Amino acid sequence: MKAILLIAVNFVREQRWPILVMLLWVLLLAFLGLSTEAARQREDLLFVFKQVAVYVVAFSVFFGSSAIYNERRSRRILSVLSKAVARDRYLSGLVLGISFASAIYCFTLGLTGSWTLGQSGFAVSEVWFLMICLLAACVLAGTVSLMFSTFLNPFFAAGATAALMGLPALATYTSGNSHWGLAIPVYALIAVVLKSSFDTSAVGPWLPVVLAVCESLIFWFVAAQIFSYVDIAVSVE
Amino acid sequence: MYPILEFEGVTKEYRRLIGGSFRALANFSLEVQAGEIFGFLGPNGAGKTTAIHLAMGFMRPTTGRGSLLGKPFGHAGTRQRVGFLPENVALYPRRAERLVRFYGALNGMTFSQLQKRGPEVLELLGLQDDATRNVSRFSRGMLQRVGLAQALINDPELLILDEPTSALDPVSRVRVRELLIQSRATGRTIFLSSHLLSEIELLCDRVAVLHHGKLVRLAKTAELLQSSEQVEIAATGVSAGLFTGAVAQNGLLRIVVPRDQQRATITRIWTAGGEIVSVIPQRRSLEEVFLEVTAERPSNTATGGQ
Repeated sequence: MKAILLIAVNFVREQRWPILVMLLWVLLLAFLGLSTEAARQREDLLFVFKQVAVYVVAFSVFFGSSAIYNERRSRRILSVLSKAVARDRYLSGLVLGISFASAIYCFTLGLTGSWTLGQSGFAVSEVWFLMICLLAACVLAGTVSLMFSTFLNPFFAAGATAALMGLPALATYTSGNSHWGLAIPVYALIAVVLKSSFDTSAVGPWLPVVLAVCESLIFWFVAAQIFSYVDIAVSVE
Repeated sequence: MYPILEFEGVTKEYRRLIGGSFRALANFSLEVQAGEIFGFLGPNGAGKTTAIHLAMGFMRPTTGRGSLLGKPFGHAGTRQRVGFLPENVALYPRRAERLVRFYGALNGMTFSQLQKRGPEVLELLGLQDDATRNVSRFSRGMLQRVGLAQALINDPELLILDEPTSALDPVSRVRVRELLIQSRATGRTIFLSSHLLSEIELLCDRVAVLHHGKLVRLAKTAELLQSSEQVEIAATGVSAGLFTGAVAQNGLLRIVVPRDQQRATITRIWTAGGEIVSVIPQRRSLEEVFLEVTAERPSNTATGGQ
């Protein structure tokens, strides 16, 4: 567990600049909260909040798809895996690192959202429910992209993740059956955030969140199985 | 007692999308015993690093198997007792002391162990004054020393070092050499891959030479260097003019002759009234041995594109 935590913290440390760039979007929301009259322009604030929120899912895909590639290209992976760190633990560290990075963003956005939207009548508890949905979506998206990145380069891994995430949305759209969205619930969780409004309560069923956590574990397991067969010392170029 | 490191008929092929495959190691077998410094030689592309990476579990053999400290290659728990320095040291940009502690912690060392051992290894490698500096600002030689520090942090039973002194200055090189000799004295085993033949000659108990993925020579270093076809005969009481190429110094005559002329030369010295002081097989340098062993020979290791 200690090694997993160390790898996770190290991942966040290595990604501190992208995380900081992400947080600039939250700063934008905070700036809007300060510069606008919250009560009159609350719909605009909510729109920006939703927009800023879904960016983090794309970032988690980016983190997941490039994590192993960057470590292999820089050859730093050799120094880590030459220690008593099994490959599945190494992947666990990366998944935890992606989760930490996403959690930092969600927490900051949650705080800013509670302040800006809270003063315009949006329930604070709903803001935090949306952040939990967002974090669950990030963890699942990051794990799926990490799984693809064990055998694809980052570009294709990100593309494959987007395609896989988009399938349930496509099935929902074509069949009209919303249950398809629960198959790989990233789309369903993002939809919860995007459909939130001042008029209806955003706090809904927890099933997509639970499913996202369970599926993250499944994808992590598949990733670990694939990664155990990968020759990591071979050039990735 | 099991071998510390063992390869049993290991073959490693790199598959290519186009153009078949390339065989980096072919039916490679080797045993490294406890407490020795083992030199691993070979020209560039001979398969040394591939063999090391297989042993560390970074890749899987295509066929064959091997063991590290009695456990199959790739067993994560075993690596807790191994120190590894890769050929190209790549480290996270952190302060040297923190970095070394990070790698120690990955090996399951406790905070108190790291507090004690961290400064110790940095001092061993002469980095105590740079411990608080970020390694991203280090020279290549200093980076290599930090790499060695992270390999030594857990006081490993087996050290696997891939070109450990290639970037070091002479002073650091001597320091590392002494460190390795000290480690052997305390029962540690060292598997050393290097192109610095003089160093291998000075340090290693046994040497293996790899060429085109195949083991072409395995011997004790002393035997390898003495297996010359020439002997040096030292004698007194004879004139240098009797022997062509003889060198006289301080009343001692030194004559280098082919081994098959040894008996005849000694008889001539005795006949001339001289006394034999010593007969020593000529030592060759490891460089000579290396060049002889790796002289281009037909290779069938490439099964595809190469």
